[in-house]
Amino acid sequence: MAITTVARAGAMAALAALALTACSTGGTDAPGAAGGDCAPSDGPVELTFTSWLPGIDEAVAIWNDENPDVQVTVQTGPNGNGGTYQNFFNQLEAGNAPDLGQIEFDALPNFRVQDGLENIAACEGIVEAESQFVDWTWSQVTFGEEDAVYAIPQDTGPMALFYRADLFEAAGIEIPETWEDYRAAAAQIREEGGYINNFSQSDINAFAGLVWQTGGEWFTNDGDAWEVSLTGDESLQVAEYWQGMIEDDLVAKYPPWTDEWNAAYNSSEIWTWLSAVWGANTILSGAPDTAGNWAVAPMPQWEAGESAAGNWGGSTTAVLKGSDHPYEAAQFALWLNTDADALTAMNRTAQIYPATVEGADLPVFSEGVEFYGGQKIYEVFAAAGAEVDPDFTWGPTMTQVYNDVADGFSGALSGSGTLMDALESGQASTISALEAASIPVKE
Amino acid sequence: MQVFGGFTQYVAVFENEAFWSSIGRVLLFGAVQVPIMLGIALILALLLDSPLVRGSKFFRLAFFAPYAVPSVIAAIMWGFLYSPNLSPFTGVTQSVDFLSAGNVLWSIANVVTWVYVGYNMLIIYSALLAIPSEIYEAARLDGASQLRIAWSIKIPLVVPALVLTGIFSIIGTLQLLAEPQVFQSFTSAVTSTFTPNLTIYSTASVPNISLAAAMSVVLALATFVLSFTVLKLTQRRTAA
Repeated sequence: MAITTVARAGAMAALAALALTACSTGGTDAPGAAGGDCAPSDGPVELTFTSWLPGIDEAVAIWNDENPDVQVTVQTGPNGNGGTYQNFFNQLEAGNAPDLGQIEFDALPNFRVQDGLENIAACEGIVEAESQFVDWTWSQVTFGEEDAVYAIPQDTGPMALFYRADLFEAAGIEIPETWEDYRAAAAQIREEGGYINNFSQSDINAFAGLVWQTGGEWFTNDGDAWEVSLTGDESLQVAEYWQGMIEDDLVAKYPPWTDEWNAAYNSSEIWTWLSAVWGANTILSGAPDTAGNWAVAPMPQWEAGESAAGNWGGSTTAVLKGSDHPYEAAQFALWLNTDADALTAMNRTAQIYPATVEGADLPVFSEGVEFYGGQKIYEVFAAAGAEVDPDFTWGPTMTQVYNDVADGFSGALSGSGTLMDALESGQASTISALEAASIPVKE
Repeated sequence: MQVFGGFTQYVAVFENEAFWSSIGRVLLFGAVQVPIMLGIALILALLLDSPLVRGSKFFRLAFFAPYAVPSVIAAIMWGFLYSPNLSPFTGVTQSVDFLSAGNVLWSIANVVTWVYVGYNMLIIYSALLAIPSEIYEAARLDGASQLRIAWSIKIPLVVPALVLTGIFSIIGTLQLLAEPQVFQSFTSAVTSTFTPNLTIYSTASVPNISLAAAMSVVLALATFVLSFTVLKLTQRRTAA
């Protein structure tokens, strides 16, 4: 008798597991209730906000002082792809996501497809705020839909070349202006015993920034279907360039964002980093012994005299689905990303560059930065920001794209396959992932 | 919008190359690491049980101590030991790349062995203690040496303990997650589909929760089938 009970319980458990997994995620967007209503809540409101910006609590403290009735609690997490997005997806699934979350531009479509974002277009002052933001950032948060705003742009990530001014000068190497120069400099630096750069296996969004600079696109959407072009000409051009650097041992291969990687910069083994404006914070916190020796120059170009730039990262503040107080949350998100004091506070602690038009004129962005030898580094990034192609579109499954391409890049770094192979298999797996999610794809 | 998909997700699991190659990887891992670990555990247990060894209390604790270290901490610690620039033994780690694509699986095997060998040793050792001393007396009267006693009496009598630890190890191997995940922050060689559980983890983060759930069920069934097969095979052998 006891045995049959156990057997039956086992069978039930197996059935339950089958039923749970038998639901395949179908359909893409349930037509969003356009706008809907967005009314203030009665009485005091408490909001939760998850972000990974260093020192974000200082900016939030300003809001909390000014708004005793709407108190925001900050929860910090790892950077988006490092775990926060996964937490958001799990929390959304469980129905207890924070009211507000930091989401990068490249991850927004993924959250939109998963129906994780609250449409805040109907909230007071949100639609009117459009003119305050840099054009391309606004189109990223509306997805071109009518009556829709899914997040407030926070910062952008125009890319430039961080380099060790002292080492370049001591070795008598010119600051590279073209990718050809950059490769030549790489060979010289290798002779000095260093590496010009670290090829990051997992920062696929940085690689996308290089493709972006070259004029390539990974995703296009004509309104009916997605076209995936990880293997476009520009994409392959960038891949071939770096594949050559890897094969000739001109770049280091440390996994990024690790102690080993920081140590390589701190010990002057690696001389440059192609990164976004917020990377200024990464270097000063990861390589403190090199203070004062860094400088920033525009990205190397494919043709001498050009001034194309890529973009890496940049975030938004989104109101996540299920928030009880979308009105207050939207007001906070708008304040955080437009108020001069908040923007200045976030720049001081996290070196981010605001997505608002006027933000660029804040006094903090015309100051020299001590860590960078007193250079007015934001001028370089402002110039780069103006050159970023506004039409680059992110696909709806970027987490999957990053995982798959990173796995391929990892193979390329250890000598099996090439970066081009990685993009090709990424192309195939992305198309099948889109199809698996019933998202229309053009072959 | 969710629709009932019947077995579509299970079909997708069986078509998922990455998932099956990760299972293949841990099977290879298990085929090498489990016998080595249990072999060492058995030898240590026999040594502790041997009347010739002094200080067995101290060694028993010393061998068991790594098991008290949480596996994540152990992986971080070994990660630093292996790392080419941060290791205290850079002389070794700069000439042998423990974290390269070819070696990292065995470097992880070493971490797992280090953590669990003491635990398995203790189970085998307690089985040895349960052997009645009359058998040893009889053997000694027959003139058997310590080696002979170990080979002909102790080992056959602790086979059930070996089977138990073997099954635990197989289950543990298939569910390998913490060590490879920690190693991702030390090397690029650990991909997001390195072990079945990592594959499930990264599939869930896409997020494709349905497929991840189906993979979990398949992995659980595979674990069950494998443990059961090993159990059946060993039982038949001991019966014969």
